[in-house]
Amino acid sequence: MLLQLNNIFKWVTTGGQRIFLLKDINLEVEEGEFISIMGPSGSGKSTLLNVIGMLDNFDEGEYNFMDESVHSLKEKHRSNLYKQYIGFVFQSYHLLDELTVKENLEMPLIYKKIKGSERKAMVADMLDRFNIVGKKDLFPAQLSGGQQQLVGVARALIASPKLILADEPTGNLNSKQGEEIMELFKQLNEEGVTIIQVTHSEKNAEYGSRIINLLDGRMV
Amino acid sequence: MFKNYLKIALRYLLKNKLYSIINIFGLAVGIASFVLIMLYVNYEKSYDTFEGSENVYRIYMDYLEGDTYVPGDAMTYNSSGPALKEMFPEVLDYVRFYYFEKLAFKVGEKILEQPLGSLADPSYFDIFNYPLLEGDKKTVLAEPNSIVLSKSFAKKLFGNQNPLRRTISVFEDGKETQLTVTGIMEDVPETAHYRNSFLISYETEKTLTDFGPTAHELNWNMNNYYTYLKLAPNTNIDVLRQKIIDSDIEKSETERHNIEPIEDIHLYSDKPYEVTANGSVLRIKFLTAIAFIILVLSWLNYVNLSTTKSMERAKEAGIRKVAGAKKSQLIVQSLMESLLLNFIAMAIALSIVFGVLPLYTNIIGNELNLDWGFIVSFIPYFIFIVGGVILAGLYPAFLLSRYSPAKALKGKVRASTEGIGLRKGLIVTQFFATIVLLTGTFIISKQINFLDNQPIGADVGQIIALHGTVVSTQSDSLVNNDFRVLKEQLEDFPFIEKTAIAQTYPGDSFDNLSSSRGIWLPDGRSDKANIFYTYHAQPDYFDLMDIEFLAGGTFVLNSKFEGNQIVVNETFLKTVGISSPEDLLNKTVSFWGNNQWKVVGIIKDYYHFGLKTPVLPTIVRYQDDISNLLVKIDKSSISIAGLETALSQIENKWHEVFPQSTFNYTFLDEKFEAQYEQDKAFGKAFQIFTVLSILIASLGLFGLTAYTVVLRKKEIGIRKVNGATITQVLTLLNKDFVKLLGLAFIIAIPSSWYVMNQWLEGFTYRTNFSWWIFALAGTTALLITFLTVSWQSFKAAIANPVESLKDE
Repeated sequence: MLLQLNNIFKWVTTGGQRIFLLKDINLEVEEGEFISIMGPSGSGKSTLLNVIGMLDNFDEGEYNFMDESVHSLKEKHRSNLYKQYIGFVFQSYHLLDELTVKENLEMPLIYKKIKGSERKAMVADMLDRFNIVGKKDLFPAQLSGGQQQLVGVARALIASPKLILADEPTGNLNSKQGEEIMELFKQLNEEGVTIIQVTHSEKNAEYGSRIINLLDGRMV
Repeated sequence: MFKNYLKIALRYLLKNKLYSIINIFGLAVGIASFVLIMLYVNYEKSYDTFEGSENVYRIYMDYLEGDTYVPGDAMTYNSSGPALKEMFPEVLDYVRFYYFEKLAFKVGEKILEQPLGSLADPSYFDIFNYPLLEGDKKTVLAEPNSIVLSKSFAKKLFGNQNPLRRTISVFEDGKETQLTVTGIMEDVPETAHYRNSFLISYETEKTLTDFGPTAHELNWNMNNYYTYLKLAPNTNIDVLRQKIIDSDIEKSETERHNIEPIEDIHLYSDKPYEVTANGSVLRIKFLTAIAFIILVLSWLNYVNLSTTKSMERAKEAGIRKVAGAKKSQLIVQSLMESLLLNFIAMAIALSIVFGVLPLYTNIIGNELNLDWGFIVSFIPYFIFIVGGVILAGLYPAFLLSRYSPAKALKGKVRASTEGIGLRKGLIVTQFFATIVLLTGTFIISKQINFLDNQPIGADVGQIIALHGTVVSTQSDSLVNNDFRVLKEQLEDFPFIEKTAIAQTYPGDSFDNLSSSRGIWLPDGRSDKANIFYTYHAQPDYFDLMDIEFLAGGTFVLNSKFEGNQIVVNETFLKTVGISSPEDLLNKTVSFWGNNQWKVVGIIKDYYHFGLKTPVLPTIVRYQDDISNLLVKIDKSSISIAGLETALSQIENKWHEVFPQSTFNYTFLDEKFEAQYEQDKAFGKAFQIFTVLSILIASLGLFGLTAYTVVLRKKEIGIRKVNGATITQVLTLLNKDFVKLLGLAFIIAIPSSWYVMNQWLEGFTYRTNFSWWIFALAGTTALLITFLTVSWQSFKAAIANPVESLKDE
């Protein structure tokens, strides 16, 4: 078991009333799964993803990640946990505009205090694997959307995470670029990486092994 | 990792050019201004510091005025030093100076007039630790008729010859005295209030000066001596001062002795009969305040801009956090950026300082020496600057690291109200400083205008004072007669309108007036409490100076009272309590042991020392003199170009009558104006730095508006789509700033009123605060704000809303 959510609630209080963002979520994810989260806008897909990614807190319930109980961890431990095991991919790529492709890939390694020579090797490896060696000195603005997302995925992968969380990874891409990214995810999944993606598209959801539907914060 | 930080910081600065330029420029100007002002402040504070100077004190006299003692005279009696040394063991030694404003020297046939020298006790080199280049410190001033020359004066007299053991003559009151050069001293530094260019042994007084046979004996009658004490280290000054006051060494009811540290004289002392006009601690305090204001303004700018900017960078911080960056890593990165930016700014600031220094020296009117000691004394300020940089960098850094990544990545931080209160506070502070400085500038120029235009009760225009040292073996009366002959000959020149002979004139220095106490009035009363001031002149003087008479008139030639005639001023009447001029006119008063002084005229008050010193009770005596021959030039018959020819004609005439003499001239209006020189320089400096502060504040405002507009782009678009006009959008954007300005204005009024009143109080005669000064300062600030803000707002207001709404 990679992670387990038990009776997770998350809410905000406005005008004395609780508005539930997540309501009684129970979810178990095994290693090697490829899960798609679906649902209409505002149903809590991204919130759930953020909770799983430990970027957001929840108000009630239990969350165990690789036998650690996340709900009782301190902030610092929690961030160590996600830094070590989770990679993120975003709809709008979130590359740093000031950094080249190579440097964007290198960034997470720097924060992990990996030595320079080792970093170089890992970055070269990743560039090679994604076939973007020729683009390594370009800035994000000089790439197409598909290429940017490719870099985004490469960056998420570079520190060899166990889990990749992708929030509508193809939302800003045309269908051909989208397909390429989904193929890439499928391939990664086959190589053993667990993936959880949020998506609107039935077609993309098909790539996964399991679909979770959300409505008003509830699993349906 | 460091290299990485640095690289990213550099790229970031290059990418955001407007932001970087505004920030760097603002900081550079702030730091440069701070350094320049503090250079000057340090220079002023470094006066009279030498090895052992902390134990050197000057004795001065307090005079009783009403019920309180006020500093009355920088000079003391020749007995003051010896008496204090004998009474108090803390007083290790004393040195007395008898001061010469100038003295004429003769070497061979060469006659040279040299300003600023003194008779001095042999202990001089023991107390003033200035280097003696030739001679023995213990003996150079021991023997009568010895003289020690400063290096540059020796060079002027002897060229490259060895001056030691040479004989030179000096002339005082036409009398020749021979002196032997016993030593050469290093030139006294510019940062000394008493800069002797020659020292004559004190024992020479008996033969050199002419105050009567007993004057050189210790007495309590003539206070013509500056006395400095060397105290034992760690003496408790307050205790010693009290002991000196209690001892009442002089046994006088109207005056007492007091002491002050030599290091304080330049900035804190402004007594009658100072050696030279001193600086002013108030000006130094004001300048220091401005220096800190400018520096802090530029930091506020920086904090303000980078805080605003950091919201824009929240996304970046979010990405980095998600990628595994720790809080501390983000802070270090942000600090690196601020350090880089600040070091670039500092480098630019230093090049500005070195570039501007010569020009600045000109404005301030002092030579600034950037020697090693000076640089060392500057280290605290550099620590202050660097410390401020780090502090200014910390806030935005913390802010940036605090954003929750989930929110930052959703772009929610942008619209948040994070730090808005702080930024508003910073802007109010900037506006506040701007308004206070503007008010200051306006009130200073109003006061200077007042000084320039207030009638002084005399006319110093077109008047030249001719003076020189006459070397003659003739008797005094014959020399005096020659002087009158010269006066008559000069009157024959068509370009000379009027002439007069006088000991001194309005704007001349204090020490050409005698001060004394004790006068017996015609109604039988006597006034022993007040000091009155005396100088002498010849009958033409009042007419030439255009001084008006309230009653009576000028001295009458060939009357039986001739030398006993006096003219007094209005203030004299008030001081001795006589209400009607007629009560004194043509009556006799008695002072200086003479009971035959006849008051022939009462003049209206005029400002002898300008508007910075109160009008003193003055008595003008009728007496022969060769100090100054005043000539009034006829403006209509002479052009500016012709003035030089006229002067050389005058000089020729002077040398015809006095072949062996020096010749100098002074334009009275220039000399009178010179009294306000420092105030004008201060006003100019204040103006320049006010403009710079406003520039910095405007830069910040400009940058801030640019970002506000970016942040509110969407809002503006939506409003416009819904029918807002350009004016309405402009109002929307400018309204906030105007509100803040209004708040700053309300706080600024009482503060600037209080502060500038302190400055004004330094002037005896001063202009008043008018409401329009505040109004003008407020309007100017408002105008500047509008200009700064509107350009950006206008661009945003006219933009097509479709552009701003199509994202997302």
